[in-house]
Amino acid sequence: MKQGMVRSWLRSLLLQASWNYERMIGIGLAFTTEPLLRDLPGGVEGERYRAALARATQQFNGHPYLIGLAAGALARVEHEALPEEQVKRLRTALAGPLGSVGDKMVWAGLLPVASALGMVLAVWVSPTAAVLGFLVLYNAVHFVLRGWALYSGWNGGLRVGQRLGARLIKLGLRLAGPLAALTVGFALPVVGAWLVRHLDAQELVGAGLIAGVGVVFARWVWPTLGGNRFGLAAVAVALLLGWL
Amino acid sequence: MMENFGWLMLWGVLVGLDLVSALQTMIARPLIAGTVAGFILGDPVSGATVGVVLELFALEVLPVGGSRYPDYGLGAVCAAATAVHAPGVFGTGIGVAVGLFVAYIGGKAIYLVRVENAADVRAHRKQLDTGSSTAVTGVQLRSLGRDVVRALVVTWIGLLIAAATLRWLPVTLEVSVYLGIAAVGAGVAAGVSGVGRLTGRKSALSWFVLGLAGGLVGVVFG
Repeated sequence: MKQGMVRSWLRSLLLQASWNYERMIGIGLAFTTEPLLRDLPGGVEGERYRAALARATQQFNGHPYLIGLAAGALARVEHEALPEEQVKRLRTALAGPLGSVGDKMVWAGLLPVASALGMVLAVWVSPTAAVLGFLVLYNAVHFVLRGWALYSGWNGGLRVGQRLGARLIKLGLRLAGPLAALTVGFALPVVGAWLVRHLDAQELVGAGLIAGVGVVFARWVWPTLGGNRFGLAAVAVALLLGWL
Repeated sequence: MMENFGWLMLWGVLVGLDLVSALQTMIARPLIAGTVAGFILGDPVSGATVGVVLELFALEVLPVGGSRYPDYGLGAVCAAATAVHAPGVFGTGIGVAVGLFVAYIGGKAIYLVRVENAADVRAHRKQLDTGSSTAVTGVQLRSLGRDVVRALVVTWIGLLIAAATLRWLPVTLEVSVYLGIAAVGAGVAAGVSGVGRLTGRKSALSWFVLGLAGGLVGVVFG
């Protein structure tokens, strides 16, 4: 099983390659779980293996770093020969929490913290420090989280929900938002001051005006516009003004 | 740019794959993608500068569920290629402009890849629903291949846009300054909006204000 766990962990790194609007990451989940199903009674040609793999391919969504919890737990209950309905219920029950916990902890917590640290390092230290600081901090947590998820999923089996309520996860969820807000709040003036260091007073007012209009648009006028399209519009206006 | 074209293409593929399909180590973040592209081109500072601006834009993105978002990583690679070759200190604006456009194309291309992946799943539904490991691995690897092609094509188009912009777009000093102002202003707006999403709750808002105060102190005394 140890070899299967390593294979499954490695496969989880490609989990989202087959993301699609039909089954979301269902195929990726099956691809990740498959090495853990190989030693089911009957082997890879056996009926239980094929039935378990077929169940694993159905629609599923969740945070990619925590998907090991689902892969491990689903493989475990297949080994324990739980009834099909119970396996399906576990699968359905896991999708929501895996998504919300992972999104809150990683996308809205760890990622903005690493991003803020990287930006401040780029401004105050060097580009090399920015790259190393960001990647080391982020991936130290990232890879541990993936490994913990798979291990906990396999060991938890049907009781995997208890692992999601672990003290460390609760702490992570409590700290994620405030830490992200604190670090990004710190980085914004540092980065802003650095980016406008070559601008004179009039140009500073122009940049401030665009930033203000952008925030008003994003918050109240046109929330679905998005920063990318607002940026493209601002660039188009700047080009026109410059040429005229 | 031409002498490093191959390395930029290779870096673009790695960055494109890292965004969703493989590893997700965050080399696809614009700060990393832009800075490393700058290193490849011999000017990491210009790469980091456009990377920082596009990173502000990327703070707004929450890649949850099936949400659609621009590919700022590939945008940053092409932004760095533009900024490094633009004359003087005014490459940031034109670089970010190219980066935003390439990010937009990259985002649209992700959607196309996902639609194709869905078609692949439909075509192999019978094998998948009978537990064929060959079908599972096949769909997974073909999907990965599609993303490689997406990253290659978007990087190639992006570098073409960068080269065309540098060669043919009439960018005077005044236009460069205007572009710089627009890019930085819009970037800060996106960054603040992104934080707005994170700090939706009152308690997080107070942490944001505390961080802001600390950052301002750092700017004044740093």
